[in-house]
Amino acid sequence: MTKVTFAICEKSFLIRKGLVSVIDKIPDTQLVQQIENEEEFLAFTNNSEIDYVIINKTFLKNIALKEAIKQLSENSGIIVLTDNSSDKFTEIIHRGIIYLNDSQSIILKNIKEITGSNTVNGKSGIPEEISKREADILKNIALGYSNKEIAEKLFISTHTVVTHRKNITRKLGIKTVPGLTIYAIINKLIDINETGKLNPDTHK
Amino acid sequence: MIITKNIKMADVIHMNYFTLSVLNRFGIELGFGDKSVQDVCKEYNVDSDFFLEIVNAFVNKDYFPKKNLQNFPVKLITDYLQKTHDFYHKLKVPEIEQLIEDMVESCYAQKDNMVLLKKFFNDYKKELANHTQREEDVVFPYTIAIEKAFNSEKPDDSVFVLMETYSIDIFKNEHDNIEEKLFDLKNIIIKYLPRPKDHKLCNKLLHQLFNLEQDLNDHSRIEEKVLVPKIREMEKSIIKRFTKG
Ligand SMILES: [Fe+2]
Ligand SMILES: [Fe+2]
Repeated sequence: MTKVTFAICEKSFLIRKGLVSVIDKIPDTQLVQQIENEEEFLAFTNNSEIDYVIINKTFLKNIALKEAIKQLSENSGIIVLTDNSSDKFTEIIHRGIIYLNDSQSIILKNIKEITGSNTVNGKSGIPEEISKREADILKNIALGYSNKEIAEKLFISTHTVVTHRKNITRKLGIKTVPGLTIYAIINKLIDINETGKLNPDTHK
Repeated sequence: MIITKNIKMADVIHMNYFTLSVLNRFGIELGFGDKSVQDVCKEYNVDSDFFLEIVNAFVNKDYFPKKNLQNFPVKLITDYLQKTHDFYHKLKVPEIEQLIEDMVESCYAQKDNMVLLKKFFNDYKKELANHTQREEDVVFPYTIAIEKAFNSEKPDDSVFVLMETYSIDIFKNEHDNIEEKLFDLKNIIIKYLPRPKDHKLCNKLLHQLFNLEQDLNDHSRIEEKVLVPKIREMEKSIIKRFTKG
């Protein structure tokens, strides 16, 4: 298995060292480069072959680096480092945010999630994002059943099905039936062949 | 920051490179040196006020002086919308399709998942085509007919027949949110797809999806917030002026 490669762009020596120790704890990762200032950043972006770049927001806010950052984001996944939990960074395409005040376990979990390090290929069972009940409902949505049909099958009210659906959509960030179907297949809740009978236009 | 006619066209792109696609739709090409927005528009025979409204609405989601934009002829708006449709079908969709195709080719370990993505996007492509086709066949011609009647002293009877079976509010109600599936696709790739072998390709695809989603958002905003209210006013005025009781 090839290793996931990281670079860190951060001016503070202490924060850099902290990140190095966190990344060290994730299996199959490799820290390739540490960038301390703008000059190094510009030199680095020219020949980047790195999977993920963890970057302090002060770099993103620097107009002089705008082109370089845009280019970087085309080749690598950007993870933003910030001290403010209300920051959103909509102007740049990024894969996630690390908050400086978070505990080690949260930062670890965060990075693993972003890089997919905790997604084992071929894993089956209930995905950790949703509950057992929600997984049952999701499975039936993906198979093409209507809210009413699902309610009858699972002996619950249609209203309850609707509530579960809302929760599933909120938790997964997936709104449409075809989207949910792909999620169900990737997570092996249903088999791809089971969807053969589906016509995407017959349900909402 | 609001773009004005005296700003250099080059700076507009520096400010937000997504505006390139807007320029493209107006037929404006690169190489404008230090010329201002106004000068470049004149050179390409583009109504600079209309250009400014569109580009500002594009760059800044909150900037929407409907009053200004409402003064332009309907045809200017529908022409722009039409060009945007072409841009999606001729450029954006094929680009994304190619990237997905490349991912299917390069990712043996996840071939099944990639084929799923491909099918998902293929269905989406059809949905988008139906959406824009309906607008071009039904909605745009309707708006042009309404404007013609609105500007006329004695409108043709046909327009009243038309208004009995269709109205801009019917369009508003049936106008569906075409961005939703793109949003899903993005999230599936970002959050749930096992790590693909080719990161570069995957990042490129995400870029394109973000780009198309944002563009569609802006496009729908012009349809719903500009075209619809404008035509609704015209409908009201026509009914008031030309029908009794
Ligand atoms: Fe449209
Ligand atoms: Fe539309």
